This record gives sequence, C-alpha cells and structure tokens, in this order.
Amino acid sequence: MTFEPAILLATFTAPENIGTTPQSMLWMFPLLASIAIIYKATKMRVLLWGSFLRSATILFCTLSVFMVLSAISLKIIVWFVTG
Amino acid sequence: MAKQSKIDHLLFLIIVALLAWVIPGGGHFAIKERKRGIIIFVTITLTFLTGLYVGSVAVVDAVGSWPWYVAQMAASPAVGMIANITRSGEYVSYGRPFDIGQIYTTIAGMLNILCIVSAVYMAYCGRGEMIGDEENDV
Repeated sequence: MTFEPAILLATFTAPENIGTTPQSMLWMFPLLASIAIIYKATKMRVLLWGSFLRSATILFCTLSVFMVLSAISLKIIVWFVTG
Repeated sequence: MAKQSKIDHLLFLIIVALLAWVIPGGGHFAIKERKRGIIIFVTITLTFLTGLYVGSVAVVDAVGSWPWYVAQMAASPAVGMIANITRSGEYVSYGRPFDIGQIYTTIAGMLNILCIVSAVYMAYCGRGEMIGDEENDV
C-alpha cells in the first residue's frame, strides 16, 4: 500500500471530533440537501438540469426552514416547561 | 409466447432492482436514465462516505445496532464487507460523531430504497424506452 491510500483509509477508521454543541446541529443541512436532491431526482418526470436544480434548491430551503422552525418551537416549549 | 414475455419482463425488473441495490443509481442507468443514475450515485455515495468519515467505520455495527445496519445495508451489499471489518470490535466510536455517522449512513440506505423502487417502477412503465432518447436530446 502506498502512503496516500493509507492516509485516506485512516480517515475512516477514527471518528471526527464533534462536541455536543448547538453548532453540531448544522450537520443536518448536508443531509437535507441529499434528501432534496434524491427526492427530486426520483420524482421529476423529465430531468432537465435547470428545472432540477431550481426545484431541488426550493425543496432544500423548505426543509431547512421547517427544521429551523421546529427547533425554535421545541426551544420555546422547553423554555416554558423549565423556566 | 405472451407468458414468456411476462417472465422476461419480470426478470428485467429483478435485474434493475438488483443493479440499483448493488450500485446506487445503477438501476436508472440500466433503463437509460443516465442523468438520474449519475445524480443518485454521486449523492448517495457522498452521503454514505460523509457518515463513515464523521463517525468512522464503527458506525456500521451488525451486532450492537442491527436495526440501523439493516437500513445501512440498503445502500449497497458492500456495506456487509465493512460490517465484517468492524465485527472484531477493533474500531470504536461514541457520542455525537457516532450519532451523526449512523444517521448519515442509514439515511443513505433508506434513500437508496426510494431509488430502487423508483428504478423498478420506471422500468415497469417502460420509461427507459419512452424518454431515454429524449433525455439525450436535451
């Protein structure tokens, strides 16, 4: 095995250092992008790059806004219950 | 003759489903939906690899968290090879990286189930024959 593939494989054998901070919630956005892209790729009847990118972006934004609003709602509920 | 044709069609659908499972996007590629195939392959592979990168290969745990493993296996049978590597318990992952990695790899598997169903449905409807050329013209 040469040097570079060994380093590449090593990155998959040890977990990244991510703390239990509010910033770690940002990891949901790449996942939302994946969901939006796959959903639109399977749903659109004829796939044209322009309309595909536009509709996938709109879906990604919709999902993101919904998730942020859900987080805010949960935060308010927790604040009422505990505060 | 018609019965033979039905059997051929069923066999074709099974091959499309298997291709879609073995290589994400492979089913769509087989029915001439090349753009869809490439998009699906890149997206699912990147999502799965991101999960492995964040949580390490330890997120594929066939013994300790088998319900997650079932969904991860939907991404590709190659996940079974990773499970064989991690079965020894040599690799460990805990906390938030483990959670994020497991969620990413599991969602990648479940998205591939959606793609398998989509590819089989398109093959059933004859979409590859219908719009395969049209896609190339654009």
